[in-house]
Amino acid sequence: MSETEPSGAPREVRLRDLRLGEGPVAFVARIVTCDRREVSRKSDGSRRALLSGLLSDGTATVRFTWWDPPREGVERGLVIRAVGPEVGEYRGRTEVTFSWKSRVGLASAAELPSVDPAEVPELKVRDLRPPAEGFRVYVRVARIAERSVSVGEERRVVYDGLVADSTGAIALSAWTDFHLRVGETLEITGGYLRAFRGVPQLVLDERATVRRVDRHDLPEPATVLNAPPVSMARLEESGGSPSATVEGLVVGLLPPSGLVYRCPECRRSLQGGNCRLHGQVEGTADLRARIVLDDGTGAVTINAGRPETERLWGVTLDEVLSRLRERPDPAVWEGDLLDALLGRRLRVRGPASKDDFGVTLQPESVETVDIDLDATAERLAARIGSGHP
Amino acid sequence: MTFREAAWRVVARELESTLEEERGVGERAASYVISPFGARMNRVLLAGTLSPPEPIGRDASQPFWRSRLSDPTGAVAVTAGSFQPRAMTQLRSSTSSRSAIVVGKVHLYKGRDGTAYLSVRAEAVRTVGESEERAALSDAVRQTLDRLDLIQRLGQVPPVLSETFVDEGTPAHWIMAARESIRRYPSVDRTQFRRELRAAIRRVAGVSSPSDVSEPPPSVQIRRDAPAPPRAAPSAAERAEESLVLEFLDQVAEGSLDAYADRRELLARVGSRGLGSDRAEEVLTRLEDDGVVEEPIVGKLRRA
Repeated sequence: MSETEPSGAPREVRLRDLRLGEGPVAFVARIVTCDRREVSRKSDGSRRALLSGLLSDGTATVRFTWWDPPREGVERGLVIRAVGPEVGEYRGRTEVTFSWKSRVGLASAAELPSVDPAEVPELKVRDLRPPAEGFRVYVRVARIAERSVSVGEERRVVYDGLVADSTGAIALSAWTDFHLRVGETLEITGGYLRAFRGVPQLVLDERATVRRVDRHDLPEPATVLNAPPVSMARLEESGGSPSATVEGLVVGLLPPSGLVYRCPECRRSLQGGNCRLHGQVEGTADLRARIVLDDGTGAVTINAGRPETERLWGVTLDEVLSRLRERPDPAVWEGDLLDALLGRRLRVRGPASKDDFGVTLQPESVETVDIDLDATAERLAARIGSGHP
Repeated sequence: MTFREAAWRVVARELESTLEEERGVGERAASYVISPFGARMNRVLLAGTLSPPEPIGRDASQPFWRSRLSDPTGAVAVTAGSFQPRAMTQLRSSTSSRSAIVVGKVHLYKGRDGTAYLSVRAEAVRTVGESEERAALSDAVRQTLDRLDLIQRLGQVPPVLSETFVDEGTPAHWIMAARESIRRYPSVDRTQFRRELRAAIRRVAGVSSPSDVSEPPPSVQIRRDAPAPPRAAPSAAERAEESLVLEFLDQVAEGSLDAYADRRELLARVGSRGLGSDRAEEVLTRLEDDGVVEEPIVGKLRRA
């Protein structure tokens, strides 16, 4: 027996406890994502297969690299048992490599370590920022809706919503049906975070555990959704929000607004009859308004779809189409729309995201606001101080 | 990353009092005018009574029109030319006075004799009902009071920390604008201006009619090159504190990726050398007043 042989059997660990240079380990984990590719060896130019992706066991998620993997059968969702992988670190995050030195086999989901919610630290919504994981959080569902998306070839159902605690709200995206209902109070473990257009999102998949709990300290859905307006400067500084309410005056429209034609395949606006993805297509007519709303501290683009546009404008798509023969120029309609909207005081709620051009808000509700002038005047007079106006 | 410029809500009197500008450098850089009351504006939104327009262009192929927008505090010229066809059509659409909201870019023209002439190049003009005009005017008064309060608190001793304002929700660019305003107009009477807002509030309440545009009271004077009150020469101890702060500022700036010194880090560092944060804030304020140090981004310092 040589002295260099690792001493004893590999130690069973959970991914959260993986450390560099602590002797041979073994763990059970689920493949969360994986990509297969080939790299060329520099020495002789031969090709070598390689799988890489993410592994998770509910306590942590780590990146893995698998040299010379089985030709097929390794896919997302598979639970594996790895013995003797190399444990490395890249940019402060632990990662593992499977090579000829390690053994990797199938395992059953039952072998995954059971994670007691009490073991993982509790976070408040305010502190949920990527790459936090291995946490537990208590929230109330403020909004939930089913949406169908295409992931590669397949169609999948995703449940989009908004959850909140007393410290804030965060967008939720569940890839498994947890039968969530508005108003429910939940304990969530095994979720992870990602940033969607700069706004953090709590993602739940089959690894996550959702438990109904009795909590009375969580804000009601109405409170979350009808939060008072925030200043637009605030939104510009913070980089967006899963649910923001803003109030301001319409100061302009951005193109394309008014009558637009959309690609029948992907609903993108056409430019000169051409879709960016599908080339020349027969467009479908639609109404939209990209409203510039300004509150004096900043400006936000409101992407209003057809229902909101028709309601604010007082003109329907059918009316526009029926008069196209006499007024064929879309710019004329856009001018009409601008005349109808300019200076209107609107309160808009919805998710807001930021890019290089500013903050865009996808409206869930748009209301015209009237302010009580007498009360306002009185409040202002009180601020001036000395004497009544 | 340049976002759309916000349309500052101001009353006409604030624009009348504006004499300072900040020219943008570089390609497509925005220019700003700086008012004595805490606004650093590129774009404004005004509400008031718009007079019938008059043509001012000499060249028929380059039409140019001008109206006056008045509110109870004063009046300002609103122009539109062929480069703003929609706004020009709107401006010309009426031959009588009407309630209106105007969104536009602020231009400051300075004559050789030092007189300043401010006008607003309209981007959008809309005739509105009286209640809409009063509502928009109320926004202007409210935000003007917010800015005046901010200026007042920035002048307090000991100074209020920038973070306090940020925590309260004050936009970072308002704090910057207020500081700039204080620096450029050291001796303006802001209390008098605050009282003048009362006329605008009467209008919000519907007490006065839009035609009651008062002439600006003669008591108000904005002096341009008012000498700053001479300060006693700094003592040796103060000089030592200043050089300590500057030395650490350079160190922190050198160690940071963006070449700015983080305010908190700087305070912590000088704190470890025995300079308390209140005292350090005073030294920093003095250095900022003297134009040695600037804070272009809230919490980020650099040598001016």
